[in-house]
Amino acid sequence: MKLAYFPGCKINFYLRDYDTSFKSLMEKLGVDLVQLPFNCCGYPARSTSFEISVFSSIRNFALARKYDLDIITPCKCCFGQLKYASYQWHENKELKQRMDCLLADENLFWDGKTKIKHLLSFLYNDIGVLEIKKKIDHKLPEKKIVTQYGCHALRPFTITGFDNPHAPGIFEELINITGFKTVEWSKSTECCGNPIYTSNKNLSLKILNSKLKAASESGADHICTACTHCQIQYNDLSFQNECQKHNITPVLFTQILGAALGIKKEKLGEDRLPIFDLRVS
Amino acid sequence: MFQIALYTSLILSTAGLLFQVYRFKKKGSLWVPKLKLNLDLKPALFNTIFQSRLFRASKTRWAVHFLVFSGFIYLVFFHALDELTVFNLFQYYQPTLDPFQFLRNFAGFLVLVGCIGFLFRRSFNTRINQDNKIKYKGIFSIILILLVITSGFMLETIKIISEPAFLEMVEDYSDLDEETGLDNLKIYWKTHYQVSFKKDLLITEDTLERGRLLNNDYCLDCHSKIKSAFVSNAFAMHLGKPANFLNHYRADNWLYPIHYLLSFLMLVCLPFSRFFHMLLIPFASARHKVTDKYFQKKAVFIHPATLAACTNCGICSEVCSVYPNFLITRNKQILPHSKIESARKIIFTAHLKPEELNQLQLGNDDCTMCNNCTDICPSGIDLQGLWKTLPQTLQKMGYPDNYTFVKDKALQEWGNKESEKEQATGAHELTENLTGRVYSFENCVQCTICTNVCPVVAYGGNDNDMTPQQIMNLLRLGKKQTAAGTRMVWNCLTCYLCQEHCPSEIKVADIIIELRNISNQAADRLKIMNAADKANKL
Repeated sequence: MKLAYFPGCKINFYLRDYDTSFKSLMEKLGVDLVQLPFNCCGYPARSTSFEISVFSSIRNFALARKYDLDIITPCKCCFGQLKYASYQWHENKELKQRMDCLLADENLFWDGKTKIKHLLSFLYNDIGVLEIKKKIDHKLPEKKIVTQYGCHALRPFTITGFDNPHAPGIFEELINITGFKTVEWSKSTECCGNPIYTSNKNLSLKILNSKLKAASESGADHICTACTHCQIQYNDLSFQNECQKHNITPVLFTQILGAALGIKKEKLGEDRLPIFDLRVS
Repeated sequence: MFQIALYTSLILSTAGLLFQVYRFKKKGSLWVPKLKLNLDLKPALFNTIFQSRLFRASKTRWAVHFLVFSGFIYLVFFHALDELTVFNLFQYYQPTLDPFQFLRNFAGFLVLVGCIGFLFRRSFNTRINQDNKIKYKGIFSIILILLVITSGFMLETIKIISEPAFLEMVEDYSDLDEETGLDNLKIYWKTHYQVSFKKDLLITEDTLERGRLLNNDYCLDCHSKIKSAFVSNAFAMHLGKPANFLNHYRADNWLYPIHYLLSFLMLVCLPFSRFFHMLLIPFASARHKVTDKYFQKKAVFIHPATLAACTNCGICSEVCSVYPNFLITRNKQILPHSKIESARKIIFTAHLKPEELNQLQLGNDDCTMCNNCTDICPSGIDLQGLWKTLPQTLQKMGYPDNYTFVKDKALQEWGNKESEKEQATGAHELTENLTGRVYSFENCVQCTICTNVCPVVAYGGNDNDMTPQQIMNLLRLGKKQTAAGTRMVWNCLTCYLCQEHCPSEIKVADIIIELRNISNQAADRLKIMNAADKANKL
């Protein structure tokens, strides 16, 4: 299987390990990733201009279409934005015309056929939990973990169609096959606070703190997201003290699954690998 | 005269260097409070000698640059400084002996080809051309190099054809005269060394053979075959009639000063032109690789000297993530190569118009910190660090980001805008127009479910003012501008909890995002007006 890899802007600089481990995981599952010169998904421009944000997404789609590839991304904000833009493009004829004009200036064209997949929905729908379970050869210890679904993948459901927006379950299913035990908690579908991190850091960290508190009350050791932005928020250095206070360590989903699939430690990134110290294989 | 010119230019160049170092030191405090010089020499060395980063960025550009670089280095060390280098290394060294004669021509040829390549690219690089201020930067240095190299070739050409020079050499190194076969030597040199004599000489096989023997006796020790000077030789062969004219006025005597004066001009210009990148890029690429941890510890290394290392190559803009934003807004200050130019102006000359500063702030706001430009920068400049610190600097100068700008204005002021007619912002402003269509929010029953699920309301405290349901109510009352100016709109996480839970299926989050767009545009307009006011005051 061949897919265009859409890394998103932040992963390269802020979360290298996620990038590395994602690539290794895909390699292990037999997926060819193609790197195209994608631009920003357009989510950051949502605040300033509807037109810019949609055009950014459509330009990426057009680029992938040129090579006849579907797009996969490990980031839920990018996923949500690309879904949103594609939805608007299909709904709004005027918008479609304008996009066609803008794309034509760069010798691109999009016919609306490119699909966008998120890492989780790809694993769940295209590969299948059972298929992955067969490949697992290193059962991980029964550590308790809470999961966080990113907002932009879950909602609005009518656009993203990711999972049940009120009681999602695919993430838990995917984690449970590795040996980790997911714990139910109250805030799995709530926002991490990252979108306003630059403009209102105070509020952003307050929201994060409330989440960590809820997670620790549920008795979890780890917290896991499958989104670049959420994970950056949990890995924020100025907040590590809080994390230690609540006894919660943020981990990367791709590293967990990668470790369970027996991918070598070096291929899963440089640091933030508490799970490897605990392994009982 | 040579000595005077040399020492003057050396003194000027050193003074210029010291001045620049002083300037960098002085301006340094403007940006980062504590400058930490963590130098990493290995990548710097690699990047300096092989231009490894440029190689990674673009192979053709590297090839062209390396032509100039290698040729230039050879010419500086083995031609300009030959008395210090090759004279000591090789006892028999003469500039007219092979392989030096050939290598000198070859190096000059490489530089010439490379420079033409530079100029060629300049006229075709579309993204660079979008900024007229940058378009012609660095052309001076390229043209100066071209002049030095061509004057060198011209000098060599004229020396080849020069009869007076030939006669001087004969006088100095032999005892030949008309009777002892000077004509024979002349004939030999005319046919084999391209010397152009005023007098017509009768060439026969006999005289040529005698000339060859004389040549073996007197000249061969210091003169290789002229064919190896392939560029100058080609010129000399095609010079034709003007040769005698040039010989008559001793063109070699006045071309020589031109050649060395141009070279000295290059030395003087070193600290003030594109040539300075020879010293700045090693310095810039010696920095440690910046990671997000550096930012979080506030240990970012932005030295003004590293910014000056920018060569306006424009590779950063080719990989820029927010290029589509530029395609729509046409704000040049979105693109990194324009932004760094503006930042340099802020630091070094401070002659930036309020409009430009405003544009710079808006452009930099679009940056997503994807690190693409920093990754690829052939000069190894810490661009990411610059984008990160630029907002703070701009805020100090009175150009805050829109969040702060709206926050610092009282809600009343936005309310006053209600009576103003809505200005058309662009000819093709495309939106969903949810806030303009009554049916998109009129179904709100004020049930407060949106408010109850909102994390901003739950944890906002004093940071927040209205609640989502109040925003909907403001819209129902027709107070769109007031709604757009609330903190709620700007604090919104866009998590869509409200929208997903709304029993009336109102697109609450989408409406709030649209209000933020409106607010953003209003803020942009106001800021442009403010900037224009400031410009008028100046």
